[in-house]
Amino acid sequence: MLTRSGLLKGGVNGPAVKPGSGSESLLVRRISVQAPRMPLGAAPLTDTEVATLRDWIDAGAVWETAGPPPVLDTRIKLRRPAVPEGTHANPVDAFVERYWRKHRIPAPPAVTDAVFARRVSFDVTGLPLDPDELDRFLADKNPEKRRNLIEVLLGRRQAYAEHWMSFWNDLLRNEDGVAFPGEKRTWITGWLIEALKSNMAYDGMVQSLLDPKGENAPVGFLAGVNWGGDVSSSQTPPLQAAQNSAQVFLGANLKCASCHDSFVSRWKLSETFGLAAFFSADPVEVVRCEVKTGVKAAPVFPFPELHEAPASTLPERRAQVARMFTSRENGRFPRTIVNRYWRLLFGRGIVEPADDLEAPAWDAGLLDWLASDFVEHGYDLQHLLRRILTSRTYQREAVRQAAAASADSEYVFRGPAYRRLTAEQFTDALSAITGEWKMFDDRTGKPAPYSRSWRFRSDALTRALGRPDRSQVVTGRGTSATMLQALELVNGGELRSHLRRGAKRLAGTYRPPSRNAADSGQIREMAGIEADITGAEKVWLVVSDFGSYDPPRVRAGWMDAEFAGPHGPAKLQDLPLPAGAAVEPIRVKDRPSRDALVAPLPAQLVYHVGGKGYTTFRASVGLDESGLRPEITAKVRFFVFTQEPDLDNLVRGTGEPPAARPSPGTSHALTKRLFRHAVARTPDPAELAEAGKLLRDGASGIEDLLWILALSPEFQFLR
Amino acid sequence: MRVAMKERIEQATSRRGFLRRSADLTLATLAGGIPRQLWSADPARPAATADAVILLWMAGGMAQTDTFDPKRYTAYQTGLKTSSVLSTFPMIDTAVDQVKLSQGLERVAGVMDKGMALRSVVPPDLGRLLHSRHQFHWHTGYEPPQSVAVPHIGAIIARTLGSRNPSVPAFVDIGQPIEGNPDSETLKTFHSAGFLGAEWGPFMISDPLAAAESMRPGASMGAARFKRRYESYRSMLKHNPVLQAGSDYHQQSLLRSVESAHRLLESPAAKAFDLSLEPRSVRDVYDTGRFGMGCLLARRLVEAGVRFVEVTTEYMPFQRWDTHVNGHARMVEMKKEIDAPIAQLIRDLDSRGLLKRTLVIVGSEFGRDMMTEGKPERFIANDNSSIQPEIMTEPAHYGMHRHFTGSQTVMMYGGGMKAGLAYGRTADERPLSVVEKPVNLVDLQATILHACGIPASLSYEVDKRPVYVTKDGKAKPVLDLFA
Repeated sequence: MLTRSGLLKGGVNGPAVKPGSGSESLLVRRISVQAPRMPLGAAPLTDTEVATLRDWIDAGAVWETAGPPPVLDTRIKLRRPAVPEGTHANPVDAFVERYWRKHRIPAPPAVTDAVFARRVSFDVTGLPLDPDELDRFLADKNPEKRRNLIEVLLGRRQAYAEHWMSFWNDLLRNEDGVAFPGEKRTWITGWLIEALKSNMAYDGMVQSLLDPKGENAPVGFLAGVNWGGDVSSSQTPPLQAAQNSAQVFLGANLKCASCHDSFVSRWKLSETFGLAAFFSADPVEVVRCEVKTGVKAAPVFPFPELHEAPASTLPERRAQVARMFTSRENGRFPRTIVNRYWRLLFGRGIVEPADDLEAPAWDAGLLDWLASDFVEHGYDLQHLLRRILTSRTYQREAVRQAAAASADSEYVFRGPAYRRLTAEQFTDALSAITGEWKMFDDRTGKPAPYSRSWRFRSDALTRALGRPDRSQVVTGRGTSATMLQALELVNGGELRSHLRRGAKRLAGTYRPPSRNAADSGQIREMAGIEADITGAEKVWLVVSDFGSYDPPRVRAGWMDAEFAGPHGPAKLQDLPLPAGAAVEPIRVKDRPSRDALVAPLPAQLVYHVGGKGYTTFRASVGLDESGLRPEITAKVRFFVFTQEPDLDNLVRGTGEPPAARPSPGTSHALTKRLFRHAVARTPDPAELAEAGKLLRDGASGIEDLLWILALSPEFQFLR
Repeated sequence: MRVAMKERIEQATSRRGFLRRSADLTLATLAGGIPRQLWSADPARPAATADAVILLWMAGGMAQTDTFDPKRYTAYQTGLKTSSVLSTFPMIDTAVDQVKLSQGLERVAGVMDKGMALRSVVPPDLGRLLHSRHQFHWHTGYEPPQSVAVPHIGAIIARTLGSRNPSVPAFVDIGQPIEGNPDSETLKTFHSAGFLGAEWGPFMISDPLAAAESMRPGASMGAARFKRRYESYRSMLKHNPVLQAGSDYHQQSLLRSVESAHRLLESPAAKAFDLSLEPRSVRDVYDTGRFGMGCLLARRLVEAGVRFVEVTTEYMPFQRWDTHVNGHARMVEMKKEIDAPIAQLIRDLDSRGLLKRTLVIVGSEFGRDMMTEGKPERFIANDNSSIQPEIMTEPAHYGMHRHFTGSQTVMMYGGGMKAGLAYGRTADERPLSVVEKPVNLVDLQATILHACGIPASLSYEVDKRPVYVTKDGKAKPVLDLFA
């Protein structure tokens, strides 16, 4: 029944289709009037569906033979398998327990409340449960408390969204602020975080990604990476769009079929280019191993059952593609994401590799049921999480493995695996435990909010812990422990300074840096700056470099600077020059030269203003146009302080940290809280004694205790 | 991305008597899945002529006619026609008759008998001249973007040959800070082991003088506290009730990695990172700045068993070798920085008997010229990054200010290569293109791998498909370069 000729030829009962005679065709009779009614064991087709088929045959049963090849993947359509019998609140358990019975695998014991709480908190919000909250949860007598905790965590939409950003940024290759030379990149960060916070339906998300419309639409996904210059024919924007969308959303790896027909899967070169043609305004020429074939690819969807005759314009074709990907007929679409979620939450997918949904599932029924449940609930990602998290299966002890499984032995699901914290979970957890969060400075001069790890570019520590650059789609991170990684953890500067600052906070010896009275932000050419200096004894005027190519050659200064107050203004140029300063002409682009107060960067000019009654400092700050030359690319910023500035902390922090800051503590109470926060248990007496020895050294002892906890396998893994 | 994991690797590779696996490459790596090594039907593994490689990277596009491929010299004078200038320095004699270098490289000239000036390297045509893409291509053999994360050639060699000394990293990269560089994101893309896995990525040392710090607790920590912290760590683990109940092999591999890091920090091998252990007189010869000290560190690391070391003059847009203005004056400084340390490195390796089995390469992403931007046959008039008037009116105009991809010279020393000659030839008049024995970059990569005993057709399995160590596995080593 997969080809027109097959239908015309038919089987033992003769042709299935008689073109022009819909009502008399066997196909139509069997789905409407003639027993046994098809499809067997499923709901009958609706009258409209039957009528559609009849009309099609009446019209000659036209089947585009130039179109897609015969169906190969018979599992494109979503099935909803019956839930195995038994008393299970959650059908996931019914499938898994039937599977275990069949494979004679003992179910692992249920986890304790504490282990569950730690695991689910990291999985939903990427953060450890606050120790007070943990205590309340442990003390709670409500039999529904696990379900309630899941709901509470899912409801923390900000924390939830910020945790899942990393997963989606990997998948959608989004790295805020990063553009490769020669490309104008647009990022989907703002759209994505809102989509997660509002729990946008997954089919809607993908429709927007594949057919971005309107303001703030996520156009960046289809645009791909466009590093200036010639690119291989397999990496043109339409090819990237085809490869990435097929891989990410349909678990179909077309990369291998981008130069030639794949040697390792069913995919053909023509199918890759056929999908790419949907994403291209102009016809796409098929190129085989960098040799042009002269053949223009017709837009063909790789799953013929879903193929729509291509429209003539790119916007229409994109809309078509978005429909085909997200169609309810497309079972592969939900199966792919459901499998990715399972993989994240259990350490291994129901199908592996997760980018090749043609590989066998260890329980196809479970995968299909989860996928159809996901679709029935409106592609609700939080529902999918809830469905899995509330299962007994998720709430079982992680299964210890003595060694890596041999690739040749068939995989058997025995229960959750030990899972390592991601780079972001690791750093965020240490921030939560210590209260030490980095500030995300957008360089506009606005105060910088305390932010979670995903917001920042990768650094030596997060790279060592597996954070990828986003120049490729990444659907699974490396989690292996390597010596290079250990060197970073043991002796690297990032972790050391994080823990050092955090230890000071916990010891109560943290001194916040003085806050600036004004911040120009990174200036392009010129800006005005004004600061309230009422009551100040001294005023510090600071100019700092923020990444110029050639800082020593940057010339930037303060123009028309004055202190103002009730007794009239004082021009700074009339006051004695502070040490290191000079008055020199600078020429801001397209303006006449003006005298400015300048000093080599980082410049710090100090004025004694005590007793003069000044209330305001104001000035124009400007960059000499020489700094705009490409070899200098000046990036500078001006600050005013009324207390001695900390040159490493010039920018103001603002807002609440992403998790409540712990209050400082001492000795045993602190140790106990750190253990509860980091590993969700109280320390045992021997651990307490060992920690006590460390804590005798104050902040440095706390720092070492934090390091010991951070490097403990108990902390770095979810069990 | 999924990289296939097969236990058979061990068997297959040891059967070929090939991969010497270090003690640290065990479960630690298997835990994350390592790519399976694939062999073409005819693996014909070449006999290695080098056990270690040092790549001295002249980042930013070094002007070849003012360094290793000098041409007719024209002194500066106001009113000079740009088109009349091929070199801004006179030629100097070297230890080898007929082979000339540019003034300012007298010490390198003194060791010309120990190496080869490969004059006929042809950089690729990547459409647009971007340092980042050419650097990526030089280091990986592939032009970006790629659908899989392709590895740095150092990672390929480290992964394929394993560590010579399991207690030190197999691949060390010296002198390139990533954070703070305006091109940090592009630098990240190729300073990486890519699909080979983090184990084989570069150990990054941005400042060679601070290398010792990366191998011992910093001043703010102190050795005693560091030791006590680790003792306390182990004691806590011993008392940890959860781990005592049993642990997963992933956890065990984490513990092992932490242990191996401590072992390295306390081992004699860590001393290789400490330049203060060199006699003052030796340090003084090398000490022309960060690059010079990087060369000294490279020598110590190779002695300690590191497989691949890259030392860079540091890429910084418009700085260093990236001469867009005032090129002549900048070249004086840059040559001063590289001349003594390169020559001393070669002499040191030679006198220690290491040069025979250590391949030292001096390379850069492309060359430079005053006139031609890009390839002579595909002239890109001006990319706005250089404004070079036809008539020079000030010394700042005197220099090789355009990116030239018609030719580049690569210096090669030791590691089984011929020595005491210039190989290939470029024209003596513009467009200065290669006129004899052209070597494309992909074949140069194959040559480096060949010296290490790695065939160009070797591939690793990524997402079930083979990814070759040279483009499509088809590159050809230039056997003519071998002694």
